[in-house]
Amino acid sequence: MGRGPANPEVKKKVLEYLAKVEKAKSRDVAVAIGEKKSDVDDAVKELTAEDLVEYLYITTTYICLKGKVKTPNS
Amino acid sequence: MTEKKTPLLDELEKGKWPSFVTEMKRAAVKSESAGELLQVLERSYVEHRGHWKHGGIVGVRGYGGGVIGRYVDEPETYPNVAEFHTVRINQPSGFFYNTKTLRTICDIWEKYGSRLTNMHGSTGDVILLGCKTEDIQPIFDEYSEAGFDLGGSGSCLRTTNCCVGPGRCEFACYDTLEACYNITNEFMDELHRPMWPYKSKIKFSGCANDCTGAIARSDISVIGTWRDSIQFDQAAVKEYAAKNFDIQGLVCDKCPTKCLTYNSQAQELSVVAEDCTRCMHCINMMPKAIKAGKEKGASILIGGKSTIVQSAFMSSVVVPFMKMEAESDFEEFKDLVRRIWDWWDENGKSRERLGELIYRVGMGKFLRECEIPAVPQQVFRPRANPYVFWQQDDLDKSGTALDGSKL
Amino acid sequence: MAKLDQGPPNYKEMLPPIIKENYGKWQYHEIPQPGVLKHVAESGAALYSVRVGSPRLVSIDFIRDICNLADQYCDGHLRFTTRNNVEFLVSDEAKLKALLETLSAQGYAVGGTGASISNIIHTQGWVHCHTPATDASGVVKAVMDDLYEYFESMKLPAKLKMGLACCLNMCGSTHCSDIGIVGVHRTPPRIDHEKLRKTTEIPTLVASCPTGAIRPDPKNKSVVVNEDKCMYCGNCYTMSPAMEIYDPRNDGIAILIGGKVSNARTAPSFSRMVIPFLPNNPPRWPEVTEAIRSIIELWIANAHKGERLGEWIERIGWEKFFSLSGLPFSEMLIDDYIFARETFRTAAGFKY
Repeated sequence: MGRGPANPEVKKKVLEYLAKVEKAKSRDVAVAIGEKKSDVDDAVKELTAEDLVEYLYITTTYICLKGKVKTPNS
Repeated sequence: MTEKKTPLLDELEKGKWPSFVTEMKRAAVKSESAGELLQVLERSYVEHRGHWKHGGIVGVRGYGGGVIGRYVDEPETYPNVAEFHTVRINQPSGFFYNTKTLRTICDIWEKYGSRLTNMHGSTGDVILLGCKTEDIQPIFDEYSEAGFDLGGSGSCLRTTNCCVGPGRCEFACYDTLEACYNITNEFMDELHRPMWPYKSKIKFSGCANDCTGAIARSDISVIGTWRDSIQFDQAAVKEYAAKNFDIQGLVCDKCPTKCLTYNSQAQELSVVAEDCTRCMHCINMMPKAIKAGKEKGASILIGGKSTIVQSAFMSSVVVPFMKMEAESDFEEFKDLVRRIWDWWDENGKSRERLGELIYRVGMGKFLRECEIPAVPQQVFRPRANPYVFWQQDDLDKSGTALDGSKL
Repeated sequence: MAKLDQGPPNYKEMLPPIIKENYGKWQYHEIPQPGVLKHVAESGAALYSVRVGSPRLVSIDFIRDICNLADQYCDGHLRFTTRNNVEFLVSDEAKLKALLETLSAQGYAVGGTGASISNIIHTQGWVHCHTPATDASGVVKAVMDDLYEYFESMKLPAKLKMGLACCLNMCGSTHCSDIGIVGVHRTPPRIDHEKLRKTTEIPTLVASCPTGAIRPDPKNKSVVVNEDKCMYCGNCYTMSPAMEIYDPRNDGIAILIGGKVSNARTAPSFSRMVIPFLPNNPPRWPEVTEAIRSIIELWIANAHKGERLGEWIERIGWEKFFSLSGLPFSEMLIDDYIFARETFRTAAGFKY
């Protein structure tokens, strides 16, 4: 993960990509949108703090748009 | 408080070992959820099965882990434990506490939770066992205010852990307490924001006795060692001899490399230092008389894990010796683990631990791409097959015979 | 608003003065009596640590009790060990005897030092885990009650470290323990297709299987399990209440022995399975406690002084261990997973 504020462009692209899929590993997001993984990680850090994206633990951790994936009991 | 009976669990209040059932009953005096937990558990004892479900997103804002969702499978029957989540609180290095800190942990948990805890979880955290979804954020807010932070869960750096180290052990070859604290604080993003193929663990043991089980239980195992010769206090050797301690039988004969010699006439020990593998046996047996060398540091081993998926792995040596004293030593360590994590993050499949990735793609590729030199200490013995993946760029690719003609 | 990323409490604030003064300057230690460690510093200062067993699953009342004791005898300082014992840190030797008397009067379990059995590292079991094949705390309680004499004394050939994991994900430290107690499921998950259709996102469920044994079944709007690939981990139940794996008639306990993590004398080693299955028989699991006691007594009777369980067995040979113990050997104990070959005997020399 890099340090410092995330690039707003990358944040936007992450949100756009996550709107198209159910959930994804952040590496797959980075590959799909053609950005560095560390920049995506920084973007996700801010997006989760802004309550737009959330982490989803399904034996490994994915990211998804907040509230998009329903798991049992959620 | 529930009045229901728990005849099977009551059996486990008998006997000399302290009883978890007694503890659950104590919690149940003031906690309805602990009382209901007893009912659920009694039922498990009757039916020989568990009654808990995982799942559901629970957490605190800004973090991707630290809370594990847990639900009972019959919420109508057991409404007080319908939601019964676990909160992981990052423990202080070496599990040292003052009573004020422990009481603060209790006081906050009393307000929201089941009054039940694990001191501690297998990875190291203080485990707060059983709270409702709506209380998770307030619980975190209060603990945060009181100076605590959450531990890890999910595909992140899990809570790091260390042995008692120089706080109370003469064997410690580096400051495990400070290394753990310093390095944990460096990797807050990695701990709280899961972004990797799977979990990654670091454990710090001060010597090769490995009291944290680092070699078996962590992806990155930092095990204290030294590079020069063990040191003797021959006067203390004589004290052991005077007490009829069997130096030859219990110490020298069990030395794995037979590098240690006892002169029973002079009652003195000597060592062939270059043959010593620093296993700790003689030091364990005669702590007053034998000490580690002066040039201390740590060996870095990687790849350890439990069984899922590709079998249990033991960590193996990648850096035989690294100084672990000054801040600059810690920086070198941090640089190394960053290179390793980046490589794993780049190449690892989902749910593939570091050791499994190295097993899949090869140690040679790992060492090359992480810029770690290959040294004989990394293996018990070299390969027995000739299947070297030659780096084609290093070879003469002119495609010509020795006389210069084209092949 | 919560402070993010402030990290764990600083250990320096937790250390008693005697430790701050002698930090990194400890010279040697001895064990004056079972359960008491005496660490002596270069300065001559002595710190006594009194080790007390805990059930790990404890109420805050227990924590407050030990805080009161620590205030009375240790100026408010104590710690826990990796194996979930409590250690009272006594810097005033005059208070040691009084602390030990109080602990004894109040029924605390003092011990777990040197050549003894220490507390059993364990998992949540039926108390809180979602895929347990057995209970954890109950089995540990039954085994520790049975072996209590070896906790409060130091009469074993060497130290004995045990671990319990309530399913074969092996979260407890069982894979490198002298004795590992492992809960085992033996049957694949049962699919409740109707429930699955109502409750479960199929891609999420398919993704949860570590071995890829679960495949979508679009025709049925459900999934199929390739039973040959299933290793009974229960991860699928994590994602779907329609994939129950518990099986009261077939779940139980396996015993693995001979592992260690220390490098002393011999390299760290994995525990090896010697009993593939024992039934769940709560509340006291008599088959398990008896099996473990028999193994320990055999070790006591045959090992050299200082030899850990696995070191003894490696010296005499596993085939000899089976003939001495009378434990039945079967093909279930021969590895058929990924690294099986390294356990096959590729030599013509062996014992009977």
